Amino acid sequence: MKAELSPRAKVMVYGAMCVLLIPFVFPTWWMVTSSFKPVSEIFAFPPRLIPDSWDFTTYGQVFTLQPFAKQYWNSAYIAAIVTVGTMGISSMAGYAFARIRFPFANAIFMVVLLGLLIPSEVTIVPLFQLFLKLGMVNTHWPLILVPIFGAPSVFATFVMRQFFISLPAELEEAARVDGLSRFKIFTKIALPLSRPALASVAIFTFLHSWNLYLEPIVFLSSADKFTLPQALTQFTDAYGGPMWNIQLAAATLTALPVLIVFIIAQKHFVEGLAHTGLKG
Amino acid sequence: MAEVTLTNTRKSYGNVDIIHGIDLDIEDGQFVVLVGPSGCGKSTLLRMVAGLETISSGEVAIGGRVVNDIDPKDRDIAMVFQNYALYPHMTVATNMGFSLEHRGTSKSEISERVNWAAGILGLTPLLDRYPRQLSGGQRQRVAMGRAIVRSPQVFLFDEPLSNLDAKLRVVMRGEIKALHDKLRTTMIYVTHDQVEAMTMADKIVVLNAGRIEQSGTPLELYDRPANRFVAGFIGSPAMNFISGKVHADGLAVSGITIPLPEKAKKYIGDDVTVGIRPEHLTVEEGGLAAQVLLVEPMGHETQITVQLADNPITGLFRERLALQAGSGVKIGFKTEALHMFSAKDGHRLE
Ligand SMILES: Nc1ncnc2c1ncn2[C@@H]1O[C@H](COP(=O)(O)OP(=O)(O)OP(=O)(O)O)[C@@H](O)[C@H]1O
Ligand SMILES: [Mg+2]
Repeated sequence: MKAELSPRAKVMVYGAMCVLLIPFVFPTWWMVTSSFKPVSEIFAFPPRLIPDSWDFTTYGQVFTLQPFAKQYWNSAYIAAIVTVGTMGISSMAGYAFARIRFPFANAIFMVVLLGLLIPSEVTIVPLFQLFLKLGMVNTHWPLILVPIFGAPSVFATFVMRQFFISLPAELEEAARVDGLSRFKIFTKIALPLSRPALASVAIFTFLHSWNLYLEPIVFLSSADKFTLPQALTQFTDAYGGPMWNIQLAAATLTALPVLIVFIIAQKHFVEGLAHTGLKG
Repeated sequence: MAEVTLTNTRKSYGNVDIIHGIDLDIEDGQFVVLVGPSGCGKSTLLRMVAGLETISSGEVAIGGRVVNDIDPKDRDIAMVFQNYALYPHMTVATNMGFSLEHRGTSKSEISERVNWAAGILGLTPLLDRYPRQLSGGQRQRVAMGRAIVRSPQVFLFDEPLSNLDAKLRVVMRGEIKALHDKLRTTMIYVTHDQVEAMTMADKIVVLNAGRIEQSGTPLELYDRPANRFVAGFIGSPAMNFISGKVHADGLAVSGITIPLPEKAKKYIGDDVTVGIRPEHLTVEEGGLAAQVLLVEPMGHETQITVQLADNPITGLFRERLALQAGSGVKIGFKTEALHMFSAKDGHRLE
């Protein structure tokens, strides 16, 4: 089904894509290169695409000024748990809303969707009080529990439900005749086929958790519990001014996993789409 | 193998009745085709036998066992779906062995059964492919393979050929029939294509709006349709109908008189619809004068539509007729080839 482009059209398409890439690539490039520049060079005008002098000590300082390795680990394991938890909950809930007939299913789904409409700024104070009562402030629990049972999961459930609705009912009926229980139909038929949807759920859930900013600064107070977005703000000198080059080095390290996750998940995404072969 | 018995089976969705009390006996090993217009409830009835649809009232029995409350998986049936419903993420071999795997069959027996089924259906070289790598006809065969590996008591088919092109449909028709001859398993086959029904069935059940209009062998239905609906449904091109009043010398229709068989004497004065199949019409001197509307030569046959007593009538002729639209023609037939139906409720008059 792939239409082959003529060589000329190809050149034009790729050319246009290169131009469109500039607004995305330039800031990234500036971030990465500036992390190697001495502070004086960062604000040079016009901006230098390649540093005149290379300063590799910034990356060492990232780890000495803050417990950055610990913070990296915090972000990583929280994002991993949130991603796996959300995939589990959203696939099951999405399947139930799409396929299992139970009383008030649609009404309940609407109520669940309301979770998307309430901004986290509104719920953060009551949540803080709740977690305070539970003794979970300055622990990672809020950062894990809030997304898994909150808006990101609702959105994921919506995505999964839409996917399962589009899955041909005949497939499940065939599985029923073949002798599968409802749960087996879910695990053996529906779930494997939902890989493309699950991959996109994984991408945006991971990103959401990785970039989470408001919740960590509300719930966490000690540096060794911080997550990366919060840690980035802590690279300041004695007067509270930002240490730009070190901050940019930390930012580069922070952006790295996002890039990796996206590359991996994107492969699954495409593969999953090709794999379903649901269409005639 | 088993017989299937439906006793006063009904289905309603809410307060809408879809199936109105079906009684049907299907013998062990029979190939039964359920046929009828779209929306008449064929699929619903088949799915009730499969257990995919609940039974509102009445009974469905397979092999003498009432299965109303038994799960599809425990009914010992296999079903072939219209869109094949192959599992896209499994190979042909896994698709075919999937049900056995879930019934705790040993690995060696599964592969033996799969190979046996693949051999019958010519799928052996395709066993490692995925459904997306198969043509429509091959997918169709895999769907049948998945059904036969289990050697179920009853096969259920829901319009399995409707997604194939005309040529392939004829081939697969033959293959399914050959499969039935080989396995001799009870098969229930749903189609809205009466040609499929005629060519494949041991017994045809004609459904209309949730009721059985008639059931019988293909030729019984062709030769002695029980009512006007069946008469019009079975046979292609469809039977011609003309309505009028019965007189002593025939059926009076807008100025002409159509000769009727002897038995019509009983109905003098009644309103009657007569039916004649296109293939029973002849072109002959002394026939009824008609006006040619359309000539459709097909090589081996010529189909001609004429205007006869204000009714369009279709005739099918073996010979090549040099006729043109607008010309006159004399149409004849044997009176014993006529079917008579009550104009009131459409039932057959003998
Ligand atoms: N879930 C449902 N709720 C309400 N009505 C339904 C439902 N499923 C089917 N029907 C109705 O039942 C009738 C029979 O449907 P069915 O699918 O059995 O028809 P069919 O004979 O198989 O037609 P086709 O040849 O188009 O497949 C239709 O009028 C349909 O609208
Ligand atoms: Mg149908």
